[in-house]
Amino acid sequence: MTAVIKELQKRFGKFEALKKISLDIENGEFIAILGPSGCGKTTLLRLLAGFDSPTYGSIHISGTEVGNINTTLPPEKRNIGMVFQSFALWPHLNVKEHIKFPLVHHRFADKKMDINKRIKEVLDITELTSFAERMPSELSGGQKQRVALGRAIAPQPDLLLMDEPLSNLDAELRMEMRREIQQIHRLTKATIIYVTHDQSEALAMADRIVVMNQGRIEQVGTPREIYSYPKTEFVASFVGKANLIKGTWHENYFEPELASNLKWTDLGVSEELKKRNIYPLRPEQIALTNDNEGIPGIITSVQYQGKEIHYTVQTQNQSWVVHTEIWQAFQLGESVHVQMKQEQAKLEVKEEKIVSY
Amino acid sequence: MKANIPTDREIVPNQVLSSLFTNKRIWTWIGIALIFLFFLLPIYRLVALSFQQNDSFSLANYTSVLQDATTWTVIQNTIVIVIGSTAISVSLGISLAWLVAYTDLRAKKLMQIFIILPFVIPSYISTLAWTQFLGANGLFQQLVALFPFPVPAINLYSLVGIIFVLGLSHYPLVYLLSVSVLRKIPRELEQASRVSGASRWTTFRKVTIPLALPGIASGGFLAFLANLDNFGIPAFLGIPANISVLSTYIYQQVVGFGPTAFATAATLSVILGVIALLGTFIQWLLLRKSKRIETTIEDKQPRYFLGKKKLFIEIALWCFFLLTSIVPLVSMGMTSLLSAYGVDFTLENISLKNYQFVLDTSPKAKQAMVNSVKLALITTVIGILVGTAFAYYRIRKPNHLNKWAEISIGLPYALPGTVMGLSMIFAWMEPIPGWNPGIYGSVIILFIAYLTRFLILQVRGSITAVMQVDVSMEEAAQVSGSNGWSKWRKILIPLLLPGVLSGAFLVFLTSLTELTVSSLLWSSNSETIGVVIFGYEQAGYSTYSTAFSSLIVGLIILGFIVLYILEYFWNRKGLKQA
Ligand SMILES: Nc1ncnc2c1ncn2[C@@H]1O[C@H](COP(=O)(O)OP(=O)(O)O)[C@@H](O)[C@H]1O
Ligand SMILES: [Mg+2]
Repeated sequence: MTAVIKELQKRFGKFEALKKISLDIENGEFIAILGPSGCGKTTLLRLLAGFDSPTYGSIHISGTEVGNINTTLPPEKRNIGMVFQSFALWPHLNVKEHIKFPLVHHRFADKKMDINKRIKEVLDITELTSFAERMPSELSGGQKQRVALGRAIAPQPDLLLMDEPLSNLDAELRMEMRREIQQIHRLTKATIIYVTHDQSEALAMADRIVVMNQGRIEQVGTPREIYSYPKTEFVASFVGKANLIKGTWHENYFEPELASNLKWTDLGVSEELKKRNIYPLRPEQIALTNDNEGIPGIITSVQYQGKEIHYTVQTQNQSWVVHTEIWQAFQLGESVHVQMKQEQAKLEVKEEKIVSY
Repeated sequence: MKANIPTDREIVPNQVLSSLFTNKRIWTWIGIALIFLFFLLPIYRLVALSFQQNDSFSLANYTSVLQDATTWTVIQNTIVIVIGSTAISVSLGISLAWLVAYTDLRAKKLMQIFIILPFVIPSYISTLAWTQFLGANGLFQQLVALFPFPVPAINLYSLVGIIFVLGLSHYPLVYLLSVSVLRKIPRELEQASRVSGASRWTTFRKVTIPLALPGIASGGFLAFLANLDNFGIPAFLGIPANISVLSTYIYQQVVGFGPTAFATAATLSVILGVIALLGTFIQWLLLRKSKRIETTIEDKQPRYFLGKKKLFIEIALWCFFLLTSIVPLVSMGMTSLLSAYGVDFTLENISLKNYQFVLDTSPKAKQAMVNSVKLALITTVIGILVGTAFAYYRIRKPNHLNKWAEISIGLPYALPGTVMGLSMIFAWMEPIPGWNPGIYGSVIILFIAYLTRFLILQVRGSITAVMQVDVSMEEAAQVSGSNGWSKWRKILIPLLLPGVLSGAFLVFLTSLTELTVSSLLWSSNSETIGVVIFGYEQAGYSTYSTAFSSLIVGLIILGFIVLYILEYFWNRKGLKQA
C-alpha cells in the first residue's frame, strides 16, 4: 500500500487547518505525524480515513484516487484500520465481539478466512485471550487500548491509522505499548500512520517522521535526520528542544554574537538556519565551565533529574537550557560560561559519515 | 497486497457522514414543509383569528375582551395563583434538593421516588385525592376529630386551595433540576471558599447558590409554566367555586359556544400564550448570562453532616411525604370503595361496585381506556421514529435549519395546553379554508395534537441519548466496514435504546393521562381517560371518578415497577458504560 497526498487543503469556514501539503508514503512504512496540539494532525488523519472531504488537492491510496474536492470514498470502502484516541470501544459489546465486528463487516477482510481462528490469533497478539468475554467497563486503560488495537488490525488492513493512541495512558504503560505497537508493525507489515504530539514517541517508533506546524509540513525525515539536522527553527526547538543561538554564519563556521572569539564548526546546520544566522544547540551539546572560555552567564534554575542536571543559564541576550552530567554541580546564581561541547562535536561529525541519505 | 478498491464513488458531506442523510435535498424541503404545517401554521391561524373581525384585520376582539371586567378578574386570579404556587414549588424544591444532594440523610433513593410521585400522577388525579382527603367525610376530618379542640375544615375549592395543590404538584420540577446541578458543583470550589476564610453560610451564599442558579432558575421557570398552563387543578377546584384562571376561562368560552366564543377564546389564548412565552424568554435571558459548571460528574457523597438533627429531619420529611403523597391517594382509594358517596368508611359500606361500573357496566370508561392507550401507543411509536431521526440529525449535523426546527417543534409544548388545543381546532377544522374533512370531531385530531405537542419530549430524550454516544463509536464502526443499516442495528440502536426509551416512556405516560388538550378536542367517540374522569367529577359521580383514578394510579405504579425490573436486568447485562 502506498499513499500519495497532493496539495491537500482543508478549510473549516475561513480557517485553513491544512495548507496544501504534499507527502508520499511508502508501502510498509511506519510514519509518525508529529506536531503541537492544533497543528492539523487529526484533520490530516480524518482526510486519509475518509471521514472528511478535502477542500483542495487529492489523496491516492494504492494508486487509486480516493479523495478530491468533489468525491470522497467513505471510510468503510477503504482498506484501513483506525485506533482512536478515546479508544471508542462499544460499551455493549465484549472484547471478542469487538474483534469479530470488523471481521464480519470489513469489505477487505478475507471472506474465506476462519473467523474464530482469526479472533484467537488477534486475542493472542494483543495478549487479551483471558479477557475475551469481558465488557469494556471491566477493563483497565491498557487493556482497552489493546482491544482498540486488536479491532483495528483484525481484518488485516493495508493502512493503519492511529490518532494519539497512547495519550490516555500513564507513563509506564505508554512505554510498554510502544513496544507492542512496534511488534504489531513487524508482524502485520501494514503501513502505519501514527499521529502524536510527543517527540520521544515519534523518535522511538517511526521509520520516518513528518513534523507539522500550523497546518504545514516543516520537515520529513528519519528520526535521526529530524533530531540531528533540523531544517527549521521550529523543528530544532520542538523536536530537539534546541537553543537557537544568535550570531553570524561565515563560510564554514559560526560566530556567536556574545563571543566573537569563538568559532563553532558546522555540524550540518541547514541552509535556512544559516540564512537566519542561527546555530541550533541542543541542551546536551552545551558545556558549562568555571574557566573564562565561552559566553558568560548566570544560573537561574537548577533541576536535579537523577541521571543528569538541567540548568537554565541567563546570558546577556537570551536564556539557555543546558543538560550536564551529574558530577558537574553548579549553584543557583553562580556565574558560569557556556560553550559548545567539543567532544560531542567530534562524535557528531563521525556519525554524520555513517548516516546514509 | 489488495488493491481492488471499488470504483463507485459517493459524494460525502464535509462533516460526519451517514448514508441516511446524504445528498437528499428533497427531504430537507419536505421536512421544512411538515414542520411549518404541523407546528407553526396552527399558531399562526390562532393569532390571525384573534386579529380578525368580519374577515378583515381588526383589534376589536382585543378591545372588547380587555374592556370586559371579568377578563381582568381572571388575569388577576391567574397572576395570584401562579405567583403563589410557584413560590411554594421553588421553596419546597430547593430545600429538598439541598437536603438530598448535600446532607447525609438515609434512604435518599426511596425519598426520590416519593418526591417524583406527584409529578408522575396526573394533577387532576392528585386534586381528586386531595379533595377526598380534606373533604367533609375525609381522613383529615376523622383524624382531627380525635383532637380535644375543634379544627376548622379546609376548603380546597378556593384560591388558596388551588395555590396549595398546584405548588405541591409542581415542586418536583424544581427539585429535579436543582438536585443535579447541586451535585455537579465540585466540592473543591466550596472547600476553597472555606479555606479562604468564608463561613459555611457565606460559602453557601457566595459559591453554592450562584453556581446552582442555572438549575434553580430553569426549575423555577418550568414550575411557573406548569402552574400557568395547568388546567386540571383550577378546573376541578375553581369551576365549582366560580374561580376562573385564563386556562379554564378559555375552556369555558369554547364549550359555552357563544356567538363570539372562538374569537374571544383566540384572543384570550394569545394573551396567555404571550405570558408563557415571556416567561420562557426571561428564563433564556437569565440562563444565557449565567456561568455553567463544566463538570458533568455528579458527586453523590454527603458534604454536610446533620449530626443529632438527622433523625428529627428524617422523621419530619417522611411525615411530609406520607401526608402529601400517600395519604391523599389512600383517601381516594377509600372513596372509590364506598357503595355510595358520603357514607362512612365501614365494612358494610365497602364494595367493588364502582370498579365494576367503570370496568364493565359503563361502555364510556372502557372506550376511553382503549382510546387513550391507542393514542398513547401510536404517539409513542411515531415519536420514537421521528423524534430519534430528528435528534440524530440535529446533533450529528448541527446547522441553523435544524436549530430552528427544534425550536418550532418545542413551541406547542411551551404554549399552554388550552392555547395549543384551540390552535389545533382552527388549523384542522378546515385545513384548507372551505374544506372540512371531518378531522375535528374525530379521534384523528387528537392524534395530530398529541404528536405535535409531545414530540419535543421524545426529541429531547433522544438528543440526550445521541449526545452520550461519542462520534468515534460510529467512526470505529465505519472503519470496521459497517455503515448504514448494520451500523444502526449493531452499534447505534443498542447504545441509544435506554435513553430513547426513557423519553418514550415519558411521552406514553403524558399522552395516556392527558386532559387539557383532549378536554377541548374530544368528541362523542373519542373521549380520553382524562375527559371521562373530569366528566364524572363535574356530574358529581365522585365514587366513579375516584375508582377510575385509582385504577390509573395502580397502572402507573405497575408500569414503573416493570420499568425498574427491566432496567435492573439491562444494567446487569453490563450495558452501562464505564
Ligand atoms: N470541525 C471543525 N470545525 C472547525 N475547526 C476545526 C474542526 N476540526 C478541527 N478544527 C480546527 O483545525 C485545527 C487543527 O485541528 P486538529 O487537526 O484537530 O489538530 P491536532 O493537531 O491537535 O489534531 C484546530 O485549530 C481546530 O480548531
Ligand atoms: Mg488531534
